[in-house]
Amino acid sequence: MPIESLEELLSEEKEAREIRRRMADWRFIESQPPRIREALKYYIETGDIRRAAKLAGLALEDFRSLLRRARIPVVV
Amino acid sequence: MGDTVALGEEVLDPRRAREIRRRMADWRFIESQPPRIREALKYYIETGDMYVAARLAGLKIEEFNEIRIRARIPNIA
Amino acid sequence: MHRPFAVADTCFLIDWARYRRRDILFKLFRTVFVPEQVLDEIRSENTVAWIAGALARGWLSLYTPSSMEVEEAIRLVEWSRLHPQAAAIDMPEALCLVVGRRRGYIVLTENRGALLAPRLNKDYSGVEVWRALEVILEALRRGILEPNCERPDTVFREYSLDTLHLFPSKALEEAVKEVRRLCLSRA
Repeated sequence: MPIESLEELLSEEKEAREIRRRMADWRFIESQPPRIREALKYYIETGDIRRAAKLAGLALEDFRSLLRRARIPVVV
Repeated sequence: MGDTVALGEEVLDPRRAREIRRRMADWRFIESQPPRIREALKYYIETGDMYVAARLAGLKIEEFNEIRIRARIPNIA
Repeated sequence: MHRPFAVADTCFLIDWARYRRRDILFKLFRTVFVPEQVLDEIRSENTVAWIAGALARGWLSLYTPSSMEVEEAIRLVEWSRLHPQAAAIDMPEALCLVVGRRRGYIVLTENRGALLAPRLNKDYSGVEVWRALEVILEALRRGILEPNCERPDTVFREYSLDTLHLFPSKALEEAVKEVRRLCLSRA
């Protein structure tokens, strides 16, 4: 089982969001077409990769590749 | 299913079947395919498992079978 | 006792496939099952090639869920939508949790909802869920991976470098502590 307690697991999302915001390549993000740009911002705020991929109109794995290009880490 | 090859043996050694699939395949055609199709055809050559190969390709079995035929990979019975 | 089987979801596989030591997975488990719905989501050449090769060797195996399992997964997705504390679970992850519950397989996922479900939903309290972090830790415990005792975070940093997947600081801290303990016990 994951090594954190339930409370720690629940509180991780705040840290994860800050890391995503800090590491993201904002120049890259702002240069994207609107749909992609908004999906990346949505992902940064929520960490919800599936909904973000749908917003972007991309398959999950394609969106994951886009996250790498935007330097946005998955934090789990 | 298309060009099924019957080799006149009761039970074919899977290694022999794999060798035949490898030898007869149109590798130029295979290498020219998009990644999922290409890997699925290679998987099929190795294993002869059409169901899993079709799932790998993201195709229905009949659709995959059409590509198998175009790739000249025999279905060995 | 080591469990021989695991079931993996998309988010786990698409990152794990980029990891330089990805094949340690097959030293940990006799077979890792991949639900068809998960396979449907795989796109990239690298991931497809790795999965196809592992399927051919029998290290991975395709899992076709039954209609009852699909129905249970739908109910689990609905449950996640009704509980604000639980992050959203989608069908591929839900199926993995259902298979984990019914078959006793370890669930491999990077989905927060799936990680939380055993803690928040009593029906799934017996399901063991691992991220890449737990997979790497288990490989260290079993000697499949050698720890770097001078820099115990090395093996986790490698994964992060290869995948752009970071571990939460508390979890990473605990994992590094465990590596230090392993190093001490082997000294």
